[in-house]
Amino acid sequence: MARIVIDPVTRIEGHLRIEAEVNSGAVSDAWSSGTMFRGIELILRGRDPREAWVWTQRICGVCTTVHALASVRAVEDALGIEVPENASLIRNIIAASQYVQDHVIHFYHLHALDWVDVTLALKADPGKTSQLAESISPWPKSSRAYFKAIQDRVKALVESKQLSLFSSGYWGHPAYHLPPEANLLAVAHYVEALEFQRDYIRIHAVLGGKNPHLQTYLVGGMSTAMDPNEPQATINPERITLLAELASKAQAFVDQVYIPDVLAVAGFYRDWFERGEGLGNFLSYGDYPLGGIKDSSRFYLQRGAIFNHDLSKVHPVDPANVTEYVTHSWYQYAGGDQNGKHPYQGETSPQYTGPKPPFEHLEIDQKYSWLKAPRYQDQAMEVGPLSRMLIAYASGHPEVKAAVDGILAKLNAPATALFSTLGRIAARAIEAHVMAGQVSKWVAELGDKLGHGDLRVHNGEKWDPDTWPKEAQGFGFHEAPRGSLGHWVHIEDKKITNYQCVVPTTWNAGPRDAKGQRGAYEASLLKTPIADPERPLEILRTIHSFDPCLACAVHVVDGQGRRYTVPWVS
Amino acid sequence: MPAPATCVVLGLGNTLHSDDGVGPQAIERLRSDARVPDDVALIEGGTLGLELLTYIWDCSYLLVLDAVDVGQPPGTLVRMSSQELQTLPGKGSVHQLGVADLLVALRVLASRTPEVVLLGVQPASTEWGTELSPAVAAVLPALADAAIAELCHRPHRQEEITT
Repeated sequence: MARIVIDPVTRIEGHLRIEAEVNSGAVSDAWSSGTMFRGIELILRGRDPREAWVWTQRICGVCTTVHALASVRAVEDALGIEVPENASLIRNIIAASQYVQDHVIHFYHLHALDWVDVTLALKADPGKTSQLAESISPWPKSSRAYFKAIQDRVKALVESKQLSLFSSGYWGHPAYHLPPEANLLAVAHYVEALEFQRDYIRIHAVLGGKNPHLQTYLVGGMSTAMDPNEPQATINPERITLLAELASKAQAFVDQVYIPDVLAVAGFYRDWFERGEGLGNFLSYGDYPLGGIKDSSRFYLQRGAIFNHDLSKVHPVDPANVTEYVTHSWYQYAGGDQNGKHPYQGETSPQYTGPKPPFEHLEIDQKYSWLKAPRYQDQAMEVGPLSRMLIAYASGHPEVKAAVDGILAKLNAPATALFSTLGRIAARAIEAHVMAGQVSKWVAELGDKLGHGDLRVHNGEKWDPDTWPKEAQGFGFHEAPRGSLGHWVHIEDKKITNYQCVVPTTWNAGPRDAKGQRGAYEASLLKTPIADPERPLEILRTIHSFDPCLACAVHVVDGQGRRYTVPWVS
Repeated sequence: MPAPATCVVLGLGNTLHSDDGVGPQAIERLRSDARVPDDVALIEGGTLGLELLTYIWDCSYLLVLDAVDVGQPPGTLVRMSSQELQTLPGKGSVHQLGVADLLVALRVLASRTPEVVLLGVQPASTEWGTELSPAVAAVLPALADAAIAELCHRPHRQEEITT
């Protein structure tokens, strides 16, 4: 049958390119390049700050909600607005459920196939798979018949050459180590996770009106009406019951499927506790206010920084110490490209000086990325679940500490093993476990407030621009699933005059700075062994462990200057 | 009594990429078309991938409207059946999951696989722009007519009428 090529079918823009130099079978240096310009900051100039969240939310279709939250917080900070407790609670529920959703999707749908060989799943004995499943988890879907049915469906796909979802792995690569039964188990859970994510995200549909890109944020709070006696209200007793049910199902899935699977996979890939280490510097703005947004000491996840792998000291974090460099980025700064700029003084002046596409090499000693290079106290930092969990762990967070110690004990690994590719995967699973529990607690709290007649979701005191000062500036932050997100807004005469977003993937995927310090991805790839440069599965494992929010292409250069162009599989 | 058949029309594409937006634009057009049967849900899918599972999960009949590059002159209408759609190439990246991946996910997940038909239009351009090219704009009424014809002749609907 003739092959039908469909292009375009769907179009989502956004690209990451990695160039890696390989010598003697290992990565000797690496460069990370964002190949798309993001101009949302420029679009926001001159607009009403109360609508900025609608625009910024569209920065990404995957990390939906996170830019909306950072944006309303930035404007609230600028105008001195405190949101009602209910609004803070609802925002916490939305953000925490986004973690659970995102982390499950990441592990099963964006990352698992770097570790799981689908074709080997076809060789598994469903009976032995059932025994394996029952030995690691009480999850009820574990019968021989169940695994046989999944295997048959996947077999039918393979035989019709319709792998599609599963077509993107380097099947047969020598770096795959799972036995067939573990592969089949993982494939079955891949399929279950598809169903899970479809069901769970109804939390966002309820609280946000729709998903993705929730529509219920407001500067000053939320627009989710609460009313115990009104069937049409967004939040009423019936809805609380639904949210509680979804939250509890998610906790079961995370604890009985996701965590046991991470443990099982990690057990077969222990050498990846020693690879992908990276910078050793970790940053978190902290998040989930339990008091006001100004009281960072009462955030559920702590604010802090760790330098040089030193878990004995968590340093305080002041967002005033964030700067961005464009020395190796396709932008120019009015004062010269050697100096960093704080986002309040930030500039977005694109100036592409790279080679004309199609090209083979980036000019790595010049400018080579559309991402700027963010730095904290002039240090490159890693952000994301690993940073948050390390900072919480080192700060003595009771739930996180218990979960981390529990996982480490099961893996028989020390805390330092977390500085690795597998450490990122484990931290994400731990965070999903802890935050799934928080969703349940916060939903119950919201139900309590509803029951006690506390229905306030919005503070409208400063809604009218006539109440605003002539000039104001503010910082809004959110610990998004992928890491520290900051929005900085400057308002003058009721309009936005400058807006800067420093997003998680910019921290992690950004290029070198003026001093030549590598970004997090670049540092994490050093010394990674590469079995086959034409199929650099090992690079994908480490980059994917960060959960990159970009569609990507990988280019590998070997020591003889030979170049391999490899389609990125995520 | 059987539950009413769920029928979904899904318009896919990016309205910022000129002719790639033909699917969503067709959905817009169908919204004000009185011939659309009552049991049909019109969904603008935009550039979403697996998030769309929610909308097509329980459907028994799925009509996809999309820009399709089949190497024909711009504005050519194409119809593909379930069988033909099974040979669509998937996308290389999970953040770019296409319609092919969505359909495979349905096959792996759903207890029953819906009848799927794709009505596509060959684009002239997918460059930046919110307007369709003249060739594709001209075929929009014909695309709507074709969609109505599919909706009125879908197998499940006939069953309902006969039973």
